Amino acid sequence: MTSLDSHRVVDAVWKMESARIVAGLVRMIGDVGLAEELAQDAVLAALEQWPEAGVPDNPGAWLMAVAKRRAVDHLRREERRDRGQELLARDLATRPDEGERDVDEVVDALDGEVGDDVLRLMFVSCHPVLSTEARVALTLRLIGGLRTDEIARAFLVSESAVAQRIVRAKRALADANVPFEVPSGPERAARMSSVLEVVYLVFNEGYSATAGDDLMRPSLCLEALRLGRVLAELAPDEAEVHGLVALMELQQSRSAARTGPSGEPVVLHEQNRGRWDPLLIRRGFAALLRARQAGGPLGPYVLQAAIAACHARAATPEETDWPQIAALYEALVRVLPTPVVQLNRAVALAMAHGPRAGLTLVDALTGEPALKGYHLLPAVRGDMLARLGRHDEARTEFERAASLTRNTAERAVLLRRAATCAQEAQDAAREAREAREAREGREGREAREGREAREGREAREGRNEAAEAGVGRDEVAEAGATGGDVTLGRAMTLFLTRPGLSADTVRSYNQTLTRLCRHLGEDVPLRDVTSHRVAEVFAATWGTAAGATWNRHRAALRSFAAWAAERGWAAAGLAAPLDRRPEPRGRIRPIDRSLLESLWQRPDLPPRERTLWLLLYESAAPAEWALSLNVDDLDLPGMRGEVKARGHWLRWQSGTAALLPLLVGDRRRGPLFLADRRPGPGRRPAAADLCPHTGRGRLSYERAEYLFKRATAELDPEGGGYTLHRLRHSRLAHLGEDGWSAPMLMSLSGHASARTLHGFVRVPRPADTVA
Amino acid sequence: MRFLMTTKGGSRTPDAEMMAEMGAFIEEMTRTGVLLATGGLEPGGLRMISSGGEITVTDGPFTEAKEAIVSFALIEARSREEAVELARRFWKIVGDGEGSIQQVFGPEDAPGGGPR
Repeated sequence: MTSLDSHRVVDAVWKMESARIVAGLVRMIGDVGLAEELAQDAVLAALEQWPEAGVPDNPGAWLMAVAKRRAVDHLRREERRDRGQELLARDLATRPDEGERDVDEVVDALDGEVGDDVLRLMFVSCHPVLSTEARVALTLRLIGGLRTDEIARAFLVSESAVAQRIVRAKRALADANVPFEVPSGPERAARMSSVLEVVYLVFNEGYSATAGDDLMRPSLCLEALRLGRVLAELAPDEAEVHGLVALMELQQSRSAARTGPSGEPVVLHEQNRGRWDPLLIRRGFAALLRARQAGGPLGPYVLQAAIAACHARAATPEETDWPQIAALYEALVRVLPTPVVQLNRAVALAMAHGPRAGLTLVDALTGEPALKGYHLLPAVRGDMLARLGRHDEARTEFERAASLTRNTAERAVLLRRAATCAQEAQDAAREAREAREAREGREGREAREGREAREGREAREGRNEAAEAGVGRDEVAEAGATGGDVTLGRAMTLFLTRPGLSADTVRSYNQTLTRLCRHLGEDVPLRDVTSHRVAEVFAATWGTAAGATWNRHRAALRSFAAWAAERGWAAAGLAAPLDRRPEPRGRIRPIDRSLLESLWQRPDLPPRERTLWLLLYESAAPAEWALSLNVDDLDLPGMRGEVKARGHWLRWQSGTAALLPLLVGDRRRGPLFLADRRPGPGRRPAAADLCPHTGRGRLSYERAEYLFKRATAELDPEGGGYTLHRLRHSRLAHLGEDGWSAPMLMSLSGHASARTLHGFVRVPRPADTVA
Repeated sequence: MRFLMTTKGGSRTPDAEMMAEMGAFIEEMTRTGVLLATGGLEPGGLRMISSGGEITVTDGPFTEAKEAIVSFALIEARSREEAVELARRFWKIVGDGEGSIQQVFGPEDAPGGGPR
């Protein structure tokens, strides 16, 4: 007991024993409020005596004995007062032991059915005369043994508010004369469901707490699990109690997997199932089995647990038995016909039988007043629409969902999905346009094939094509004027001034063709432009751009080439060597230069962050390389540092060079970028990752990523903040825009091949290289 | 918080009475969800050494019997103090002996495991 603070021992013992002690006292004296006060007296006595006399051998029994003694004293006082002084005086003279005997009988009885008393106490503290909030607070206080301040922290309310709640609850129970009993008959089922509801509420309060600013909130889940298990032990014949326990065990088994490194929620089908807790899953299955054994009709908790078990059984999301889950929701909807359950059923239906099946049901729910303002409705609808390829509608739904959620991390996820949908919609529109243009081009070519010879002849004859209507006239007139050798610049102007082009298309095509002109010269005859030259310009200009950018310019060139070839001005297949590039999901768009400028200008940036980010930007190196740098790897005058593991030099520029000496200070060795705190005893990193000067560990990728995301959240139109990976690629994109060639970029950034530069293939997360 | 409780060899051999008492205790702890896993361990077992990429498996040598771990229990408790209190109950049943309690770190204990 040496190293343990006796106050904390008292607290721990109290938490373990409080339910039994308070329940026993309530049975003796009939009043919840008073019983709790007397029990608190016992705790006070322990706090006074244990530090001096040492913690007793059986601390639980000690508390119980003291509490009982207080209760007996109280009963005696009551007895005396009731009888009045005279009566008491006579009684004491004639039958001095009677009072004592009564009390002894009570105390003897108390030692018997303690467990039943705890069950009674649970029914009382979840009594319907109390508000839901009061039931929750009182249950945590009396059964869970939580202190008022702990409850307050868990529910993010003030301590005095909780204290008030509890005082009022106790008074309400006394006023309503609530009997200390487990109800029987039809009332029992209703009261039991109130108890289960309170326990599940406590669980959900902890489960939905993703903010993680206070460990008290997540620990509510464990508290609820404990309450549930105690309840299951006391009422083993109730299937629903076991169902609730199973449900909570299975949900809790995913706790490590349901948030990402920066606290963002990870949806079920994207969770790393290797992080699910097999012990809790096993216990969930066992509890579900007990529920089945208890028999009776399947209630809402058993059904929900059965659904959770379906997920737990699937080793991968693809193995999920969705038809079975849909069937279970079908049954659940009958006993729990809430809109939220309907919504979940729609999700299951969509997974089992396709998005159309789910969407019909979701559409029926959109008018549901209870779901008005519920962000998951548009989120689910958006998901189904996206799967049906209706990206524009899906984007609107995700944006609505984002505006409804109160959780920032969730909002970022939803906005990201909206952005993806917008991109998909754009891509689809562009592809449709390309297909249409290709079709039109082909049709036009076919229609004109017979005419072409004539046109050429007429041009040669110098005949003005006055008879040809509209565009054709100009083109041919121009062609005639240049004797058939149309220059690139002229063709470009004609191409862009065709009627029927939208302003966006003109702007986009203009970008492509202007670049082409700048590289090849406006006056070069189009006929002399080879596909090889065009491919060179493309590689130099957009070789490092994202797949989407490349494809956009490629589409513009193809359209132009087809148009020019049709007129016989350019060689066929001008765009042939340019392949369409993959556009990876979550493609990386560069961060705007001006945004980065404003970031560097920020006066409040900590030196470590400022240096790291500028280093990453200037060197365009992977973040894990920068983080792996040690102080002794730096060549400060040479403005470079050696990434030993890769045998690669990381090069920076004047911005970083000015900051580095300040960050290094007097340090001679150890990691360049250090964590804020010293590592905990359980996570002792390797010596190479510890600073010999400060004892702090190497800054981890996850932490660095989180810091950058947090700092850039307000710059990011999507609200989630930028990744370090995106910072690096922004630099590459900016340099590419400035005219750097692919080999120059490769030597700077350490990209192994031009291919990886082209495709913007995601650099895999480093497998915990640091921290 | 999870804790691993281990006991070392050298304590008295269990008699029928102690076995019954321990059985009831384990049952109660399992039911209330405190006990996640428990078991007795064979003396010795196999010894494995990984060195410079080479892995050797041998039948020994081992530390002396009274230093070796002979049983373990993985428990879920709300605090270190609660774990000690539970261990105390265990030792009341076992009698003389020696063991240790160590916290088992979970994802929530990882540095930078979440926004702070």
